[in-house]
Parts: sequence; C-alpha cells; structure tokens
Amino acid sequence: MTSPLFSRCNLPGSMRQNPGGRVLTMVFFLILLLPLVGLGIDLAHAVLAGSVDIPAALLLSPRRSGLLAASIGLAAAVAGCGILIGTVFVSGLSRIPQKTLFGIFIIMVSLAAVPPYIHALTWSEVFVVLNGIIPWVPVSGWLVSFWVELMALVPIAVFLSWMAFASVDSRLVDAARLVCPDMTVFRRIILPLAAPALGAAFGFLFLISCTDYSVPSLFSADVYALDIFAQFSATNSAATAFLFALPLLLVTFGVMVTCRSGIRTLAQIPSRLFFEDHREEKVYPEWFLALQTGAAFIILIQILVLFSGLVLATGSMAAFLSSVFMARAEFSYTLLTVILAILISLPLALAGGHALKKPGTRGALAWVIVLIPLAIPAPLIGIGILPLLNLAGLSGGPAALVFPAAVAVIKFSPLAAIVLFVQIRMIDPLLFDAASVFSKNPLSSLTRVYIPLYAPGLVVSAGILGALTMAELGATLIVAPPGHATITMRIYNYLHYGASADVAGLCLMVTLLTLAGSIVSLVVLRSVYRNFREAPRQSGDTVP
Amino acid sequence: MAGKNITILLAGIVLVGIIAIALLALQSDGGKRVVVVYTSVDQVYSEPIFLDFENETGIRVLAVYDVEATKTTGLVNRLIAEKDRPQADVFWSGEFSQTIVLKNEGILSSYTSPSATDIPSRYKDPENFWTGFGGRARVFLVNTDRLTPGQYPHSVYDMLDQKYPGPSVGIAYPMFGTSATHAAALYSYLGPEQTHAFFTSINNRHVRVVDGNSVVRDMVADGQLAFGLTDTDDACGAVERGSNVTIIIPDQGPGEMGAVVIPNTVALINRSQHAAEGTIFMDYLLDKKRESAMVASGWIQIPSRDLSGAACINSSGIKPIPVSYEETYSALQPAQKDLIEVFIR
Repeated sequence: MTSPLFSRCNLPGSMRQNPGGRVLTMVFFLILLLPLVGLGIDLAHAVLAGSVDIPAALLLSPRRSGLLAASIGLAAAVAGCGILIGTVFVSGLSRIPQKTLFGIFIIMVSLAAVPPYIHALTWSEVFVVLNGIIPWVPVSGWLVSFWVELMALVPIAVFLSWMAFASVDSRLVDAARLVCPDMTVFRRIILPLAAPALGAAFGFLFLISCTDYSVPSLFSADVYALDIFAQFSATNSAATAFLFALPLLLVTFGVMVTCRSGIRTLAQIPSRLFFEDHREEKVYPEWFLALQTGAAFIILIQILVLFSGLVLATGSMAAFLSSVFMARAEFSYTLLTVILAILISLPLALAGGHALKKPGTRGALAWVIVLIPLAIPAPLIGIGILPLLNLAGLSGGPAALVFPAAVAVIKFSPLAAIVLFVQIRMIDPLLFDAASVFSKNPLSSLTRVYIPLYAPGLVVSAGILGALTMAELGATLIVAPPGHATITMRIYNYLHYGASADVAGLCLMVTLLTLAGSIVSLVVLRSVYRNFREAPRQSGDTVP
Repeated sequence: MAGKNITILLAGIVLVGIIAIALLALQSDGGKRVVVVYTSVDQVYSEPIFLDFENETGIRVLAVYDVEATKTTGLVNRLIAEKDRPQADVFWSGEFSQTIVLKNEGILSSYTSPSATDIPSRYKDPENFWTGFGGRARVFLVNTDRLTPGQYPHSVYDMLDQKYPGPSVGIAYPMFGTSATHAAALYSYLGPEQTHAFFTSINNRHVRVVDGNSVVRDMVADGQLAFGLTDTDDACGAVERGSNVTIIIPDQGPGEMGAVVIPNTVALINRSQHAAEGTIFMDYLLDKKRESAMVASGWIQIPSRDLSGAACINSSGIKPIPVSYEETYSALQPAQKDLIEVFIR
C-alpha cells in the first residue's frame, strides 16, 4: 500500500493496487526485461544459424574458472573492506557537528558520480610518486587494483552504510544505552539490527566491483568481466558475449538474491540520517576511537587525492572554463538525460517498490526481475534493446533522444525501486489508512500524506539515478542518438587523446554539478521532512 | 505549512519537466540536411573536420564517437545491431579490420569516390566497399632518460631481449584495437605457432600489458616504462608535449619484417537514410587537402599520397610488413581468441 495510485480506500493497509498502479508495475517489469528479451532473440538467431559454440561458452575452462574465482575474491574483498570502513566511519558520526555531517554527506554523494576510471587515474599518479620515494610500493597488480577499486567505491560504501545505520530504530538504541556501555550497544544492538542492510550494501558493492574491468585492467589485474569483453570484441556476437557472461551473471544474481532477504528484514521504524533532533556523543573505548579516526583518515585521503588530482590536472581557472565551455552541448544533453531518467524512473520504481513488498511467489518473482538488469554487463543492455527499438521504428526519429535515458531507466531504476521498497517498509501503514479515511480528496492525500512520506526515498532515489546516469558509458554509447553525446562519453573520448587538463576540468565540473544537485535535494528533503513533522501541531489537522 | 511546501515541491517538479521539454526542443536538428557519421577516430581530430565540412557544404554532421574504454565493442557492434534499420550513413574508422568485419556482415555499400583517384590501389577494397587513406604505424616510444641511443630497441623481438627487464617494457592488451590488428599481422606473417610462442614469452617475462595505447604512451612518458609499443599518433602526442621520449620505427633493417602500418578507412553504409550526403562527405574526407590537414593536426603520420609526413617521425621510405589488409583481417579473430587464452588469466 500505497498512494492513491496504489490503494483502495476500503482495503486496510494492503496489497491491492488500482488499475493505474497495476499498469505502472507491468510497464516497469516489461522495461526491465527488454534487454533479456533482445539478447534472447539474438541468441536464438545465433543458435539457429549455428554461429555460437554453446558448450565452449558455458563450460568453464580452468583459465576462466581461475578468472571467475579471482574476480569474486577481488569484489568480495573490495565490498567487505568498503563496508568495514563505512561502518566504522558512520559509527563515529555522532561525534561530528550536524553541519559538518551535511557537508560530508553531499561530498560522498557527489564523488559517486565521478567514473571509477577517473579515480583510478588519479590514484595511479599517487602510486607512481610513492614508488619513486619508496621503491617497494607497487604500481600495478592485484593489491593496487584492490586499493584503487576500494577508494573508488568508498563514497558509495559510506553512503550505503549510512543508510543501513539509519534503518536502526533509535528507540531500541536509547533503551539499551540506559543499561549497557555504548560499545556493547554498538556490538549487540546496532550492528545486528543494521546487519541486513549492511549485507545489502555489501551486495551492491560486490555487484559494481565484480562487473567492472576498467580499474583492474588499468593495473594489469585480469578479471572475468574483461574476458567477456574480449570475447565480444573477438566475435562481434552479443549472443556469445551473453553466454560468456552467464557464469558471472549467476554469481552476481546469487549474491543479490541473498542480499534481497537482508533488505526485506530491514527494521520497521528508522531514525533519519542526520535529521535526528537529539544527538548525543557516544562513549567508545580508545581502540575503537582509533579505528574510527583511521576510517575518517582514509575517506579524507580519498577526497583529497581526487579533488587535488583533478584541480592540479586542470591547471587554471581559464583551462577549467574553456573545457566546460567546449563541452556545453554534452552538458546540456547530459542534463536532459538525467532529468528524463529521473522523471521516468521514479513513478515506475515506486510501483516496483510496492511490487517488491508483495509476499509469496509474486514478490519473489518481482525481486528476480528487478535484480536481472543489475547483473547484465552495460554494453549488453544497449545491444539487447537496440534491435527492439529498431523493430518499434523508434530509432532515427526524435524518440532516439530519449534512448540514453531509457537505458538508464533499465539499468538504475531497479536500485530506485529497492530504495523505495525500503522506504515503503519504513512507513507506518496506519498513516495511509488514516489518510484514506479522513482526507478530503485524493489530491489532498497525495500532496499532504503520500508525497511527504515517500519524499526521503524519492529524493535519495533521484540522487542515485542522477549520479549513476551521469557516469554511465557502456550502454549509452550503444544507443546515443547521432550528434549527441553525454559528458561521460566526451570524458572517455578525451582520455584516449591524453588531454588530461580537459578530462580533469570536465570531471571537476561533473563533481561540482552533483554537489549542487545533492545540496538542493537535501535542502528540499530536510524542508519537506521538517514541515511534515511540524504540520499537525501547527494546523491541528487530523491527517499528519 | 506542509501544504505550502508540497505545492512548492510540485511546482519544482513541473519546472523540471518544462526544462526537460525545452532541452528536448534544443536538441532538434531543425530540418537541415544531415549526414550521420559513426567514427572511431578521436573526437579531437575528427570534430574539426566535421565542422569544416558543415561550413563548406551546409550539411550538418551528426557524429557518434567511439571510446577506447569499450574495447572495440562499441560502434561496430552497434552497426551490426542496426543492420536491418541502419542509422549511420558513413563509417570512418581509424583502422581497417573492423571495416572489413562490416563488409563481410553485409553492412557496407560499394562506392568509388572521385576524390580517391590519386590514392594507391593497395589502400582500397578491390570491390570498393571501403577506401583507405593515410594513417598510423605501430612504433616504439622510448624514454630517453632511461635508455641511451645505443640501447634503443629496433625490433619487436627486442621485447624478449633479456637486457630489457620485462616490467620495463609495455604493450597494450593485444586483443583490442590497433594492438589486435598488429597481433593479427604478426600471426599472418610469422604463422600461428611462432606468434603464439612470441606472445607467450612476452607474457612469461612479465612485460607490462596495459589497458590501452594511451596508457603505454603515458607510462613511457613519465618513466614507468623504458619503452613500449604504441601508435604513432599517441607517440607523436608525447613528443609534442615535450616529454623526454623518442620514436623508433621497428624492424626496418635488411631481412627484418617491417612495421605495421594502419590506414584510416571510410565506407558508405548500405541502405543508409542520407546516402547522397554520405557520398558528399566521403568525397570531402578523401580529398587530398583533408589528408594534409590531418597530417598537420597529428592524426595521420603516414600519408597515402605524396605529402610531407608528420614532423615527429621520418616516415618517408618506411618499410611496411608484407601482409595485406585481407590477410590481417583473416588472422584477426583466431589471433584474438588465442591471445585471450595467453593474456587474460
């Protein structure tokens, strides 16, 4: 349950949707299945034509088994350490003033929009300098690859850990603090309660790391994802690439399904990120304080390395302005793509979030469909939907302008649906029932009850969608309409040329734009949330 | 108060919608004559050509660029996926093997450009499905701080020489891009067994196999590598930026195999929507003046016609490897599959 789109007034709290909601849910799932349908058709053609060697693709040779094991190991190590750093760092946030906290939060979100490859290039420079001073510091290999991948994902890890801790019921924590020391409360109350969400965060980080070949290949660490692209490059067959991707897809899918049960057991009534009214400094033992300081230091280093690397590489304000001016067309098209991706995704993801909440087989099926696009390599998503768009006669016309937004919807709206699913679970169903009974009309319920209740999830989803859409490359490149390019496409094109000042200037601009977007979103969220909580006291309305 | 804030929120959403519509309107082509060009040539080199073409002909170029990071799985696969409903009019590639892939997939249309009459026939497809012109060569970029002139490598076999520690030498993954084309030429010239042994030795002695030719260039330029195999455009870029590097064209001595030279290729797409504009663009691109302009801009170092080459290397009399484009193409897929087994593990 449920906004007016998703509820019937005479149903208590429940599972039924009105026709509009059902249509949205169906559209959402159909869109998510499009790449799989396209790849399935391509595979069927290839099988009928005898142009694909199915056993060779599906049977893992010792080489591919080794690669898969190494990829899983790297991704698990990156995700595990990311969550560890995020958890320790977030546990110490009560020591930080709220305004500083706000700043840290938006910096974390804005860094998430910088492509991992840019993080890697910046860190590469650091390792070269370090190697010049201390010769035993490696400049390539698994260890460097692990560290750089970890640093690239640390902003997302902190963000997700923060969300996980926000899902813990603060009343339980307050009650426990009356009788136990803070460290015991952290170990025995907070961590177990946050564990399901932290598990889900681990799953997301694992997924991102396991499907990325760009960072490991820069540091000469070969992973399974690179093998998929090598096979794709060698055969020009999406069907073959899809078959080669299946083992990785099964692994990532399995991890996400495991995490799904974690997400479903999230606590019911959370406190809210940094919008708590009462913040008390917790008393931890010195060793734990040292760990918290260490985690904060690592995050600070990451922020400094990236920003200073980008600023130094940009050179001057004139160079920065020049690179931004030259890319104005790409910025405007990126803005359009981001806006469209958010506007299309949010209603669909909201419908999807409700579908995920359903019990039994329907809910399980919804989870399976939502997790599929997350596990498919990006170019295969583009290749998968392109023939379908061609069949529909959409390519070549003005509709093609929306294609990059469409692939962003397919790739990232599942994440928005999961965030909104969590948000929906956090809302007390009685509020919706009260709105159904007492509100004057559906519009009033929508604007005064549903949107304020959904607002945190919608804003967080919009932030995630915006950042990821801006950084997307693999699928966008396949479907971008002729004459139009996103800013990430330009960054990667210039990267090859070696125009490091231009690349750094553009990355800096992307970071600043995301920073501005994050600030605006969080100010809006804060305003909506505060006024929502104050409203009943001020107006005396029956409905909150 | 809550109602007021929600009204503001809804107004904000409507405003964002209006901005989206305005941006959509701004992206419109306004009914101009257009030509759609898919190109794997770096934007910094191809965009000025497109702008000049637009200024001279009034035909707007709608370009789609490839990027190195997609490991040559971008544009060519997009063209294959669009085969039944092509969106591109012209494919302009920085090399030839992917163009031959497209020819064999039935995606190209035959066209003989009058601008290409002075281009030697070895640069052209016998059935005129594509036309080649000046391009690049595969060369060594050497860091002059790390090696003295007497130590400079002169053959690709020097990458196996024990006097150069493996990790001080670099190549890009030979399964992708022009490195794959180079590997395919070696497979064709030396035969599969000998080339397999060559690359296995490279892998065994821990030569740095990196993410792309631009990475080889950067690593040689900043001294991480003593030398590396890369393309002339990358190598000349490092020279022009003032790095302490020099360029060596490999295997030019008597009895040596010669260097791999990779021309640009351009082709018309079969059943394209703007075929007339496509031929106009091809004629414009294949004109000698444009080749000269691309030599000046740094994209072409080995011209196909009687033009002075790039300043950064002496390309006159360069000895190419005696392998035809078709032979290289035929060796490409088996070479890639073999090298995946050697290098990705």
